[in-house]
Amino acid sequence: MRKTSWNPYLSGALAGILLALSVLVGGHFFGASTTFPRVASVIEQAVGIDTSKVVYFTTKDGKYGPSSLPNWQLLFVVGIIAGAFAASTLSGDFKLQVVPDMWRERFGPSRLKRAVIAFLGGAVALFGARLAGG
Amino acid sequence: MSLLYGMITGILFGILLQRAHVLRYDKQVGALRIMDMTIVKFMLSAIVVASIGIYCFKDLGLIDLSMKGTSIGAQVVGGGLFGIGWGLLGYCPGTAAGALGEGRFDGFWGILGMLCGGALYAALYPLMETHIISVGKYGKIGLPQITGVNHWIIILLLALGSVFLFRFFEKKHL
Repeated sequence: MRKTSWNPYLSGALAGILLALSVLVGGHFFGASTTFPRVASVIEQAVGIDTSKVVYFTTKDGKYGPSSLPNWQLLFVVGIIAGAFAASTLSGDFKLQVVPDMWRERFGPSRLKRAVIAFLGGAVALFGARLAGG
Repeated sequence: MSLLYGMITGILFGILLQRAHVLRYDKQVGALRIMDMTIVKFMLSAIVVASIGIYCFKDLGLIDLSMKGTSIGAQVVGGGLFGIGWGLLGYCPGTAAGALGEGRFDGFWGILGMLCGGALYAALYPLMETHIISVGKYGKIGLPQITGVNHWIIILLLALGSVFLFRFFEKKHL
């Protein structure tokens, strides 16, 4: 694998084939956002919070609660990390970077500033994704 | 078996995302700023191909589709919040994970934020249910049901629209 990227149309089409096959073989559509409240419920349980009192974690037979893990989607998310790590290492793309280039140009090199905004952005995005059901 | 499928599918998807260079803040925010449409090309291509595949399987009776319910309140407010968060973080939930795998450590802060956002959503779910999700509920409907036309016409329009958009992107070097 060379450092140049793959054609986005071709890579996207391959991802589409992968998605269709995933639906056919295992009945699973691609998704990641539901994994976050599920993992949060496991963490809450681990620190002694009674998750059975949280309606969301018990609704739909505990579909979003701690007992839902491990499941297909958690492994899918872990797989994405592993696949991206393998592909970036083999292609020479892997690079530790805390502040993205475009961010640095506009907002400067502060790691703290980037970390705070990334954290907040993640929290808002995930809240929105769960609300919208995506 | 389901866990193994999840892992294999995730690895393959992660490879495609990485090789197409879409796991990058610069590409994601670049698309939001309409400067670099790489991720839109990737996403739309995936959607068109997957739509064709999935509806072929459905028409052959190989799979059943279970649609998600439509709630205008939840999807407008949720989609808006998602857009704000995506613009701030520069990754969506799946790509934040992939970005971390590629060495982009800000993806890790995003993932921590998402865990907190998930916990917060769980805590506020009853409130959301009463005040937002209940607004404009239409049940399990899709474009073919609303318009009353065959799903292949919708897919054809989607494909044609995408090709038209792709040609525009290439002409403008986006």
